[in-house]
Amino acid sequence: MSLSLCLLCILLVPLATAGLALMQQGLGRSRSAAHAMLASLCALAIAAIVFVLVGSSWAGYSGGLSHTVHIGGVAWDWLGAEPLLASGLRAGLQTNAYAALVLCLQIFTVGMAALIPISTGNDRWRLAGVCAATALLAGFLYPLFSHWVWGGGWLAQLTLRFGLPNLVDSGGAGVVQVVGGLAALSAAWILGPRQGKYTAGMATAIPGHNIVLVLFGCLLALLGWIGLDGAASILFYGASASQVVLVVINAVLSASAGCLAALLTTQLRYKKPDASLSANGWIAGLVAGSAGCGLLSPAQTILIGLVAGGLVTFLVEALELKLFVDDPSGSIAIHAGAGLWGLLAFGLFGPVAGPRAAMLLSQVIGIATLLGVMLPLLHLGNLLLNHLIPYRVDSDGDWQGMDIRELGAGAYPEFVMHAEEFVPR
Amino acid sequence: MKWIGCLLLFSGWIIVATALLLLTGLAQRFSFITAGLLVELLGLALLALSYKALQTGRQRGQP
Repeated sequence: MSLSLCLLCILLVPLATAGLALMQQGLGRSRSAAHAMLASLCALAIAAIVFVLVGSSWAGYSGGLSHTVHIGGVAWDWLGAEPLLASGLRAGLQTNAYAALVLCLQIFTVGMAALIPISTGNDRWRLAGVCAATALLAGFLYPLFSHWVWGGGWLAQLTLRFGLPNLVDSGGAGVVQVVGGLAALSAAWILGPRQGKYTAGMATAIPGHNIVLVLFGCLLALLGWIGLDGAASILFYGASASQVVLVVINAVLSASAGCLAALLTTQLRYKKPDASLSANGWIAGLVAGSAGCGLLSPAQTILIGLVAGGLVTFLVEALELKLFVDDPSGSIAIHAGAGLWGLLAFGLFGPVAGPRAAMLLSQVIGIATLLGVMLPLLHLGNLLLNHLIPYRVDSDGDWQGMDIRELGAGAYPEFVMHAEEFVPR
Repeated sequence: MKWIGCLLLFSGWIIVATALLLLTGLAQRFSFITAGLLVELLGLALLALSYKALQTGRQRGQP
């Protein structure tokens, strides 16, 4: 393992979170822009601290300590058992740099997962609620799935225990993106739509306030994703330096294919390309491509990106119009939808040693675990927290905007605002 | 409906885990794991529909 290359890749990851934060801010309304950005910063801060204090113990790392349960004569590695507060890390830096690198990467990836639901709750999610949900995700739920896949848990031991290929998620499509996307779905269900979004069963379009920031965020995210895919491939799948070059190529290709597919789909359906959906397609391509980054050929990656980009435009519409899920930045479709497709696509196209059906089955087990364990846990946890700390701002705050309501000042004080937005209804 | 949806999601995963433990043949495992995934999708649909019904009711209640 190349330590310097891995560290370089890890250092790029914050650019992905910066890109996502910019996208979320730009796709929300101007009256909640400062709040959205502050919420993103708070989420990153809380996620990093809570993960180091508690989550890193549960997430563990491959070859580290873990709790094992014996069911039906099979040992199931359920949970990491590393010391709390990351104690021992400093003393072990020389002897076990791997553990430190894993923690270093996961500080950023857990922040990324925590950032995803914030955009879904744009314009109505209180800062206290964001902080509480982030602590739950970073401290308890993200580490659980992270251990199962990246920490040598039972999904990484399918070959050893059950004779199936291990689940492959080399860039965090499941561990980071789907977990974040499912948290976003849970938040959307709990928060409900923004006031004025639906009238008599009809959805009203509430466009983002700064599409330039959204598109710039896409470019930043590409750099960050290259780092994330590269670092995760090196640390969890033993990728060599030459494989990291393929990771870079595939990341660019999947994002490009996703963006072009979304652009073409919107051109065909609405007669004009849609900038925000094309941006969504870009990120969806990155998300889907990250499941098998470095392991798939460029042609396969392009195909996966194309499907992800097209899929996301339909998913965004279905969620908004058919299921009344108000997701201002399309996070659920991008991260959960494209992430699940990426995991499945690896089963369909990924390199296999044995039968293709076995590889597909392993990936389906991963998907079933995300939907059957992570989603209920996330939703129950969020429902419980919502009882303790109400997530949604009150009705006046909804119209006023989160900036004035919670921060006391707007993001753009010199801009002329629409007067009717400040009249309580 | 919300709780039944959550229960179905988890039940689907139990089917998947049980298939892993008790079955050995690839075809048998494949069919049971697919069945488990379908149960999960049913639970997801129930959750989504319960939320939709709630929102539709709220919209009707609005002046």
